Amino acid sequence: MQPENPSNPKPEFKNMEKDTIILGVIGADCHSVGNKILELFFTNEGFKVVNLGVMVSQQEFINAAIETNARAILVSSLYGHGEIDCQGFRDLCLEKGLDRILLYVGGNLVVGKTPFEIVEEKFKKMGFDRVFPPDVDLKKAAELLKQDIKERFGSDTHTPQDKGQARQPDNQESEEETRKPETKAPRVG
Amino acid sequence: MKRIISIDIGSTWTKGGLFILADKTLKLEKRQAVPTTQNNLVLGFSQVLSRLLDKDESTPLKELVGAAEIYFSSSAKGGLRIAAIGLVPDLTLQLARLAAMSAGGKVIASFAFSLTRSDLSTLEKLQPDILLFSGGTDGGNSQYILDNARKLASSTLSCPVVYAGNRAVAEQVMDLMNKKEVIVTENLMPEVGQVNIEPVREKIREIFLKRIVSGRGLSEIVELSGSQPRPTPLAVFELISAIPQYRTDWTDLAAIDIGGATTDFYSNTESYLETDTVVLKGIREPRVKRTVEGDLGMRVSAQSLLDSGWPYLEERLRELGLEAEGLKNYVDKISSDLDYLPGSEEERLFDRLLAETCVYYSALRHIGGWKETYTPQGKVYVQTGKDLRRVRAVIGSGGFLSAASADEIMRFPLKKLRTYGQERKLLPEKPEFYADRLYLFSLLGNLVEKYPAEAAALAVNSLEKISGEE
Repeated sequence: MQPENPSNPKPEFKNMEKDTIILGVIGADCHSVGNKILELFFTNEGFKVVNLGVMVSQQEFINAAIETNARAILVSSLYGHGEIDCQGFRDLCLEKGLDRILLYVGGNLVVGKTPFEIVEEKFKKMGFDRVFPPDVDLKKAAELLKQDIKERFGSDTHTPQDKGQARQPDNQESEEETRKPETKAPRVG
Repeated sequence: MKRIISIDIGSTWTKGGLFILADKTLKLEKRQAVPTTQNNLVLGFSQVLSRLLDKDESTPLKELVGAAEIYFSSSAKGGLRIAAIGLVPDLTLQLARLAAMSAGGKVIASFAFSLTRSDLSTLEKLQPDILLFSGGTDGGNSQYILDNARKLASSTLSCPVVYAGNRAVAEQVMDLMNKKEVIVTENLMPEVGQVNIEPVREKIREIFLKRIVSGRGLSEIVELSGSQPRPTPLAVFELISAIPQYRTDWTDLAAIDIGGATTDFYSNTESYLETDTVVLKGIREPRVKRTVEGDLGMRVSAQSLLDSGWPYLEERLRELGLEAEGLKNYVDKISSDLDYLPGSEEERLFDRLLAETCVYYSALRHIGGWKETYTPQGKVYVQTGKDLRRVRAVIGSGGFLSAASADEIMRFPLKKLRTYGQERKLLPEKPEFYADRLYLFSLLGNLVEKYPAEAAALAVNSLEKISGEE
């Protein structure tokens, strides 16, 4: 994590060198309190947070991720329709050239008392890298996020030479690059 | 007492006004208009000037310019042609287009994501006056931007390029495009949703002065009068910006200017009021906004107006019991004879329908809307675009609207626009309509920089309120 590195070589790009994450509540969901808490929390954890607020569509998440070269999209859903809202999210990311972006989802993802393991499996099948229950320890989630970013983007720099979303091969892309977590999900449907 | 002259060199007419400034009040003394001579803009300029000053038309320009303070604008040769490049269509590209139009330009082409080979050849063919190149937030995406920079570098494009994208790669963009004239300015969207178009507008204005003015006969005027021209739409934009600052009873306003080739729509009002039941999607548009529609116009663009505006025209023809054939024939006629004025009652009605259509579609594109959505927390409105509900004054300008004797020509199409598809359009709720009878808006716009309060006051006072049926 660069923000924790005191000997940052390029101070003028300090803020630009943080990992950008996109945050928002998906679908027709207006729960805004948790969203504000997440924004504060992840900002304090050293991320550059782009918070899209409530009622965010898949396309809006993706648009923001493209413009900001984000490392991860954190999707919240609290009103029980998460499964429908998140359907096809990974596919759309791939369509739009976001080959490597991390997708996290959390909240009250389905209605009723479905055991969390089943919910988790469902969303992982959809291509989400991590799935969190409503009572997740945020500290833990942040640790996982830092770890996942490191694994997937390795020594990528944030400035100029953007290795961005899978372009020509480059030696900076270490073997870590090809070692993707369980996610690169099989297409749904 | 001070004598001030303002001249607007348009593509067909060169218009001028002589103003007297006394006791902090600006008064119109005299107006003049002569046809513009395209290959020598100085001709019309000196003609208008000599008439305003009651001098013989053979008086050399050198002697004329000393008699008054002179300001001028120009939209000659169809104005400032700008091509815009952004990354995501709804974000940086939309802002790039907005910035270009707010700077007084006309967007002749726009491109998102990676430029394709055919995009490049389109650009090369169009040869715009300025290329506005944006994309990525600061520290954000650079892959698309650098890729596009490389492609642009190897193109035959020769116009100046304003770079207003990701700041982190600005130097690389300059290096890659070192054979081109690249002017770097602040990112027009430094963060997602953050709008920063002023620096871009400023740069475009500078280029207009340096590049566009020279070689069109205007440099002589600049040299002699000691004043710099501005693009005509920018002059109007500045006037629209100034009015609420100096006329506090005119806080929210809009103006529609229908010309032969384009329709301009200006608004000055807060674009979004945050409440619990309205959620804004996309960018928060600036308080002062201009859009310009190249396919909506009364003569040069009449044919494309027929295409773009057909759904509205068809409905109106049906309501009035008119045949489509008649209108189409009329459009053919005016397209081949651009100076044609309607001769019969029916032709006047056709002109009115065309003007209504310009109002309808320019408003449709300028004004945002609400879509109703039901959520577990109740009904919520999702807003996209700009909210014009609080606009009280709607001003009609340009040949057709300046002459409007009844407000129906604007009121009617706006009423029809209340709902569009599933959207409720955020139109002015209680509009009052005004006509810029004396064509003063562009002339006064030229004076805003130096005399903002006086120009704004005269602009408002010179308007004529129009209402009801003819």
